[in-house]
Amino acid sequence: MARLQLKNVNKRWGSFVGVENFDLDIADQEFLVLLGPSGCGKSTTMRMIAGLEDVTDGQILLGDKVVNDLEPKDRDISMVFQSYGLYPNLSVYENIRFPLRVRKVPKDQHHDMVMKAIAMVELEDFMDRRPAELSGGQRQRVALGRAIVRKPTVFLMDEPLSNLDAKLRVSTRAQIKNLQSKLKTTTVYVTHDQIEAMTLADRVVVMNKGKIQQVGTPTDIYDNPANTFVASFIGSPAMNLVEGRLEDGVFSADGIRVEGLPASASGNVTLGFRAEDAEIVEEEAQISAPMYSIELLGEASMITWRLAGSLVSIKTNKEYRAEIGEVVKARIPAAICHLFDTKTGERIAHG
Amino acid sequence: MANLANRKPPSLVFVSTAFVLFWLVVAAFPFLWTMWGSFKVEGDFFSRADWMNAITGPVTQRQNGSAFTGAGYEGAWVQQEFWRAVINTSIVVFFTVVISLTLGTLGGYALARSGFKYTFWLLMAALVFRAMPHVTLVSGYLLPFFELNIWGYLPTTIIVLVAINQPFTLWMLHSFFLSIPKDLDEAAMVDGCTRFQAFRLAIIPVMWPGVVTTGLFSFLLAYNDFTVTSMLLTQENATMIPKINSFLGSTQEEGKVMYAVAAVVSAIVPLFVLILFFQRQIVSGLTAGAVKG
Repeated sequence: MARLQLKNVNKRWGSFVGVENFDLDIADQEFLVLLGPSGCGKSTTMRMIAGLEDVTDGQILLGDKVVNDLEPKDRDISMVFQSYGLYPNLSVYENIRFPLRVRKVPKDQHHDMVMKAIAMVELEDFMDRRPAELSGGQRQRVALGRAIVRKPTVFLMDEPLSNLDAKLRVSTRAQIKNLQSKLKTTTVYVTHDQIEAMTLADRVVVMNKGKIQQVGTPTDIYDNPANTFVASFIGSPAMNLVEGRLEDGVFSADGIRVEGLPASASGNVTLGFRAEDAEIVEEEAQISAPMYSIELLGEASMITWRLAGSLVSIKTNKEYRAEIGEVVKARIPAAICHLFDTKTGERIAHG
Repeated sequence: MANLANRKPPSLVFVSTAFVLFWLVVAAFPFLWTMWGSFKVEGDFFSRADWMNAITGPVTQRQNGSAFTGAGYEGAWVQQEFWRAVINTSIVVFFTVVISLTLGTLGGYALARSGFKYTFWLLMAALVFRAMPHVTLVSGYLLPFFELNIWGYLPTTIIVLVAINQPFTLWMLHSFFLSIPKDLDEAAMVDGCTRFQAFRLAIIPVMWPGVVTTGLFSFLLAYNDFTVTSMLLTQENATMIPKINSFLGSTQEEGKVMYAVAAVVSAIVPLFVLILFFQRQIVSGLTAGAVKG
């Protein structure tokens, strides 16, 4: 049983607020991803769970036990660090065995446990090497092996993939996903990469400036962002956001006019829609403005306009050609639009 | 060497080789000269008639029947009991190094991992104390030491030498610890170590080159110290350097200067052995960068 609960957790350094009122219940076996830009408090939250950082206020419960005052070693967690944190003087085998040694696991079990972990992270051929003789991906696998060698109740992973190159990141990501589903251990994973978050998570927590912005499944967060921050952080390209005015269900700004929106709200709003939900058309449509740029992505082309001061992009087929400055039109169905309050950034309604 | 980039014009090779050889001779000459001369008698090594006498040794030949003599060594080690000074030096050096390294590693680690601002001021204060002339400390301590009746003993000297040396070891080890990523301690703590275990099992093994280098500098300070040891130790507790000085100070007696020469040579030998033995650690310690991510 490894339910992990954070109850109104706060972290402050003097007057600086690192994490504010973090309240979350993480279910047993769940893969939870903390996502946010750097400095948003996601790593601090994880370090508080690990016990490497004191909690200023609030409670952290592991199972039914409050662990606020426990040393990291007494929390039964294991952690993977961004810079691996391997012991440079020990071989791969000894690195993975280290937790068993210091936790006084009976010696006769060591070999079996270490070999099992080594097999899981596929490092059989590198057992006797030192970390300095390994590539980045192999080092990260050693760190993973060290984390799984004893069965902890919670895994913590602090940006484990950010030091790897793009190709390796994809394969290691798949490996982590696979390992977690095999081991069925509650996992908290910190990243600033929204693709990692989308692919790995059962649930994503989006954070900004020390506060939770939204908690939900990846689809939930992608389809129904709670505010403009989440909308602009998730997705590649991020959601298009245009500031304008809404009156009687009609949104208008420079070069864009969308009808059929809910009439319940009015005033200054921000309209959001995703690049893949709109399409380029010939006849008069919602967007009609001179094109700002066209980029070939390979599988599609990206058309960009500059509307009411912000750049708006949509995807179209890769054969599409137009000159920069030429007026290009696009259809944006009201049903796929999101409305946010311009002032607070909070979501108002769905189109 | 077929590599084009590595090929050098012969004139450059000649000039640089010649320069290195010249430098080697200039640097090593005093040692070689002293070592050679230590097997002569005073009349040769300090000859007023012809400096070549120091090399050929006619007086030594006349007195001993051979161009070499161990008289200087015999006089220093047996008659003047230089071995006592060697033992005293060993005790002083051993304890100075052990105490400064123990305090230095613990303190340096604590300072490197502490997030507080006072760390900087502590280190600045340490630098100021290190920069002070050693004699300042000695003159300040002298009266209290007499009053407490602890003047002249080895432990007193060890304490003063540690006090002089500590700021430096603290600085040096502090910067070594800074070069070790914090992740390593944290990984160890999550893996099940207490703070101290993390220090002992994860950090110290990585720190060896730093500890050895710092230890060597502490060793040299204690080994070569003259100011403190000459003022704080009695005649029978004297270490090597003041002892050699006392040989030099009594020139009225024929041959005693040669004791000093022989003793100096004896004092140099352990340094050579030590540096040859630890050279790998010293080099890797000086060039630092013990761990990389």
